[in-house]
Amino acid sequence: MAQFIQVLILGLALGGVIALMGSGLSLVFGVMRIVNLAHPSLIIAGAYVAYWAFKLWGIDPIVMLPIAALILAGIGVLLYRLMFEQEAKSARYSEMTVLLTFALAMMVEGLLGAFFTNTQRVTSPDYATDAFFISDIFIPKGQLYAGIVSLVIIGGLALFLKYSRMGYAIRATTQNRDAAELLGVNVNLVSVVAFAIGIGLAGAAGALVSFVFSFFPAKQWEWIAMLMSVVVLGGMGSILGTVVAAFSLSVIAAFVGTWVGATWSTMTFFLALFVILLIRPEGLFGEKPEMA
Amino acid sequence: MTALLEVTNITAGYGDGPAILDGAHLTVVPGKVHCIIGPNGAGKSTLLKAICGMLKIRKGEVVLKGERLNGLRPDQILRKGICFVPQERALFPKMTVRENLRMGGFTLGDARELDRRVDAILDRFPILRERANQHAGTMSGGQQQTLAMARTLIIRPDIVMLDEPSLGLAPKIVQEMFSIMKMMSEEGVTVLLVEQNALMGLKNSDIGVVLDLGRTLIEGPAADVLADPRIQELYLGGRKAA
Repeated sequence: MAQFIQVLILGLALGGVIALMGSGLSLVFGVMRIVNLAHPSLIIAGAYVAYWAFKLWGIDPIVMLPIAALILAGIGVLLYRLMFEQEAKSARYSEMTVLLTFALAMMVEGLLGAFFTNTQRVTSPDYATDAFFISDIFIPKGQLYAGIVSLVIIGGLALFLKYSRMGYAIRATTQNRDAAELLGVNVNLVSVVAFAIGIGLAGAAGALVSFVFSFFPAKQWEWIAMLMSVVVLGGMGSILGTVVAAFSLSVIAAFVGTWVGATWSTMTFFLALFVILLIRPEGLFGEKPEMA
Repeated sequence: MTALLEVTNITAGYGDGPAILDGAHLTVVPGKVHCIIGPNGAGKSTLLKAICGMLKIRKGEVVLKGERLNGLRPDQILRKGICFVPQERALFPKMTVRENLRMGGFTLGDARELDRRVDAILDRFPILRERANQHAGTMSGGQQQTLAMARTLIIRPDIVMLDEPSLGLAPKIVQEMFSIMKMMSEEGVTVLLVEQNALMGLKNSDIGVVLDLGRTLIEGPAADVLADPRIQELYLGGRKAA
């Protein structure tokens, strides 16, 4: 029983971070129909921001989180203006973004590799290797802090989307872009803001990831499958779905890792993606695609 | 009477495709209900989309209260006082009725004023009050159309343009839609209506406009348009209007 609770706690702690990693991807798809394959590479860029701030100046990655988010959000604005804005009205926009973001992912990986090499890195504040103990059960502080911070950020995002004027505009644009424009929403501005928030979330996730996982530029290929499975299971564009899926898959992966074998843990996400696409492609909270 | 909106010989179409409108004109009189009729492909919906900025105007001009609207985006044209409800009603299915109404006042800066106006609309439309916290996508077609029309009133526009509000609705519900339209007109809102059911549309309007092949054929009092033998023959199947 103790082992069951232990595995459950580890799964839940990681679920929060994975939810944050996926929520930016989901938001960007929901508002702009951009399938951002470069999202994990931008998370890794955020991780490098936190890593170097800690290594050079000793700044805690959680303190560095808002700065990493702002830097990445700024990069997001530039990327949107340069790569996506011109084609936003194209009928094949989503398909085009797959190719564009694939190229972007390669480019970011190349740049990060050129500057920082492919050496595995991890930020190591004291709490990253410490734990709380409750009887026989231990809770790694790093994962717990990262999970809590992730949930606070996602909660803040949910409140922002639910109650703020821009949040209304983002939700409206997600559901019906033309209608939002007819009601006075500047959908171009909303797209830029939502993309910046999405990439800012990647930066925030990167700061947390930097002390939870070891990372290097090519790690993105492992993470994109993991994040796609989370976002597809949740329903593309649904933040709530992403959170539910992240926790579900993370817990399942933790149990698989413990009882089947660590190498099968990551496989859980790939298998989930395959099964979801086969039996419920719209995911848990997504809408069924319209038949042509 | 001075025109509120003047559309002069406009040409417009979708993307780089052929022109759907080719020299259409229209004079919109304040406070009146205008009904645009015509056969399929005449350019009725295209005309509304061109006026509200969803389509680029290639030639001609659209002038509202002396101000040229050519080249403005839909959100900018809305701020000038023209509200458009397209055929598909433009609702947000996963937002509640109240949230949809709040979106109707997105251009209002004052949140308290917006809440007051939303409550006033809910008072006027009890069916919407009953369903204020229900997702719009779960309502019936008639209720959705009521919501779409009521939502336009939040910003107190000069002109409301409705593209086939009766589409897919039962006859009893259609009559309710026309009642709402009449109420709008009585409150001083100018209505520009595209209607496939020419007879019903003209009977409920003050001014009739007939479009064909992207051009304006006839424009005048609805009763005169209804009595025009060409209209009787072409669009009303030779029936005499009662």
